[in-house]
Amino acid sequence: MPMYQVKPVCGGEMNVDVPTCMYKLPNIHAQQGNSRTSEHALQNGEVDSAVKALEVRQDEIMRKLYELKAAVEGLAKTVTTPDADLDLTVSSSLSSQACSSTLFKGATDLDTLLGKDLGALRDIVINANPAQPPLTLLVLHSLLCQRYRVLSTVHVHSSVTSVPPQLLSCLGPRHADSYARHMFQLGFTLIWKDVPKLQMKFSVQNMCPIEGEANVARFLFKLLAPYPSDPALATLVDSWVDTAFFQLADCSAKERAVVLRALNSTLGRSPWLVGSEFSLADIACWCCVLQSGAAPSAPSNVQRWLMACENLGHFGPAKLLLQ
Amino acid sequence: MIKEEVHGATEEEQQAQSKKAMKKQQKEAEKAAKKAEKQAKLAAEQQSTDEDDFAKDRYGVSVMVQSQQKLDRTLVRVQDLAPEKADQLIWLRARVHTSRAKGKQCFLVLRQQQFNVQALVAVGDRASKQMVKFAANITKESIVDVEALVRKVEQKIESCSQQDVELHIERIFVISQAEPRLPLQLEDAVRPDGEGDEEGRATVNQDTKLDNRVIDLRTTTSQAIFRLQSGVCQLFRDTLTNKGFVEIQTPKIISAASEGGANVFTVSYFKTSAYLAQSPQLYKQMCICADFDKVFCVGPVFRAEDSNTHRHLTEFVGLDIEMAFNYHYHEVIDSITDTMVQIFKGLRDNFQTEIQTVNKQFPSEPFKFLEPTLRLEYTEAVAMLREAGVEMGDEDDLSTPNEKLLGRLVKEKYDTDFYVLDKYPLAVRPFYTMPDPNNPKYSNSYDMFMRGEEILSGAQRIHDAQLLTDRAVHHQIDLEKIKSYIDSFRYGAPPHGGGGIGLERVCMLYLGLHNVRQTSMFPRDPKRLTP
Repeated sequence: MPMYQVKPVCGGEMNVDVPTCMYKLPNIHAQQGNSRTSEHALQNGEVDSAVKALEVRQDEIMRKLYELKAAVEGLAKTVTTPDADLDLTVSSSLSSQACSSTLFKGATDLDTLLGKDLGALRDIVINANPAQPPLTLLVLHSLLCQRYRVLSTVHVHSSVTSVPPQLLSCLGPRHADSYARHMFQLGFTLIWKDVPKLQMKFSVQNMCPIEGEANVARFLFKLLAPYPSDPALATLVDSWVDTAFFQLADCSAKERAVVLRALNSTLGRSPWLVGSEFSLADIACWCCVLQSGAAPSAPSNVQRWLMACENLGHFGPAKLLLQ
Repeated sequence: MIKEEVHGATEEEQQAQSKKAMKKQQKEAEKAAKKAEKQAKLAAEQQSTDEDDFAKDRYGVSVMVQSQQKLDRTLVRVQDLAPEKADQLIWLRARVHTSRAKGKQCFLVLRQQQFNVQALVAVGDRASKQMVKFAANITKESIVDVEALVRKVEQKIESCSQQDVELHIERIFVISQAEPRLPLQLEDAVRPDGEGDEEGRATVNQDTKLDNRVIDLRTTTSQAIFRLQSGVCQLFRDTLTNKGFVEIQTPKIISAASEGGANVFTVSYFKTSAYLAQSPQLYKQMCICADFDKVFCVGPVFRAEDSNTHRHLTEFVGLDIEMAFNYHYHEVIDSITDTMVQIFKGLRDNFQTEIQTVNKQFPSEPFKFLEPTLRLEYTEAVAMLREAGVEMGDEDDLSTPNEKLLGRLVKEKYDTDFYVLDKYPLAVRPFYTMPDPNNPKYSNSYDMFMRGEEILSGAQRIHDAQLLTDRAVHHQIDLEKIKSYIDSFRYGAPPHGGGGIGLERVCMLYLGLHNVRQTSMFPRDPKRLTP
């Protein structure tokens, strides 16, 4: 099969009016016309065997892929459904670290989230006041570390004279490769600075600084997992995050008690605060409950949920600072 | 005839001239008479005043101090004049900063370095009218000895550094008189730029200040700058000594140009010529090879660069560091940056008054830094600049405007005035720079920046004689000229790195000044060799 074949564009019988002022020549194509019949049959009738083999191979590959997809989905279901998690926490003998790496699925690609890589380390700079250590961000940092290669550094700004040693080591020990910044996907630079409000800077060219721990937490969480696509759920997450920071963190005991009751009733109905999955709402509320010192006196559902959160193993750095 | 006529004419002229002279003489005589009259009157007055001046021995110009006698008089420092000293009779030596007579009293401002106090001579039972007159006529900047009562004041004296007390002078003697015409006024020399223009007051330009450096150095601003500079040196020495560094002295007259060969001063050296050291680099390195482990030196460095910019001097003080490291040259960076941070912290905590004083004349934002110091890589810097719209190649060196822009970008994001830029392209560094092990285009070298200007340039040095030879050949350097340098690495050399800082630049940038001549006591540049 040296060349592909094309069906005739127009019918074989056509009467063309030939002007009489010209002389006639015999049809040069007419002689070949007879030998063409066998190929015509091929084109109209059965398919060539080589093409057939190719199609079979493709079908086979597709079938294998579907199988793989089903297998992965099955695996994901057993691991990430909250029930399975709760089972784990109940038995609690299993290492929670094992499941944490697959906790957040979903397509998150740093290029699409943070813009194209221009060769510079994508460095997230967080200015925090040492008087109010941002616990949620430390939790999110440890989650980011499991997901990406993160270069974590802690600095003290000259506006602050001294910082307790646990704040200097709050991002964990130095990464072994930290001498080569280009080997990392993401930078997490925490600067203890005299700022009235926590502040995050990412791209000074295209982005204004983000203020407030809650807002920075939202930004960081989006690097881990997309927000729920259901707007109602997304709003719920947002609402819980705001509740945590505005009503739990620094408010009167009365207001705090109201929030704790609301938490208790929500957690009575589902294992996590929003929907069936662990989310930013849980992280924010956990940190604010612990920071407010209300944990020991919390109602039973809240206690159980606090335990379940802790068993996920992401709260280690935050717990160190609470002590 | 003609001659005669001419003669006649000259005679006439002479006659006319003599007439004129006569008139002139007459006038002069009149003048002299008037003057004599006046003088007589004055003398009479003087006599009469002298006669009834009861405070005659309480003021005057004292004989030149030639160490005739050793008085046990304790002199109080102006800065120690506080309300606790109220009602004490003290002696004090200071300069007359300003004097202002007002009827029967005279206000003086007495100055000692950056401190000053208000003093008062008033006609009373201690001081006579003549004494007040004498005090009012003491020229500015004269040095006086004063005996005075310390008095608390009701209202703070805003114009003086000692705001709570004033001095009531009982005796005043001039120790050293200043000439009445000063080449520049101290108040003018400390006036902030721009303020003078509005009120039509004078400011003193840089060259006048430098030509009369002795007087300019008396200003509060200069006093503060050079006290701070001394602090930088002190902190540099203290920090490094604590870190186990050894201070070394290196020769400044050298036989061969250390770096490249351009930009060196040639001096005649008996029958041949020699050069002035551009940096103590080779000697620092030799000390490392001689097992001193960690060394630093503070000393003059000479650059024969004919550049008249705000940040170039032909002679400046170099603070140089060189140290052997164990496995990674970042150990060196950490040591140097920590030293810098300790200096910044020391200045922030102990030199706040000096910083404020300088800020009054040259307002600037306080110097900000991070601890540990921020380290960025060259490729990152290039990416940041490109994002900001600068077009440059991967291996191009940073131009001065780009350095400034990068400084602004870094400051905006990290809010620090001090950072390290690591991993420079090999092509833009000297031949002795160690290449990067993973990427031959780059090198183990770094620059440090303050307020967007480079203050230190350093690197891991090649400590292998063979590699050093190869690199020198690659840079087309005459091997004969650097033979002794290469030879020092032939007998085992520890891996090492270091860098050098310009003291004047560090002071200038820390204080946010705009000219390095302000932080050099007697600056040397292509156009200035004096004072």
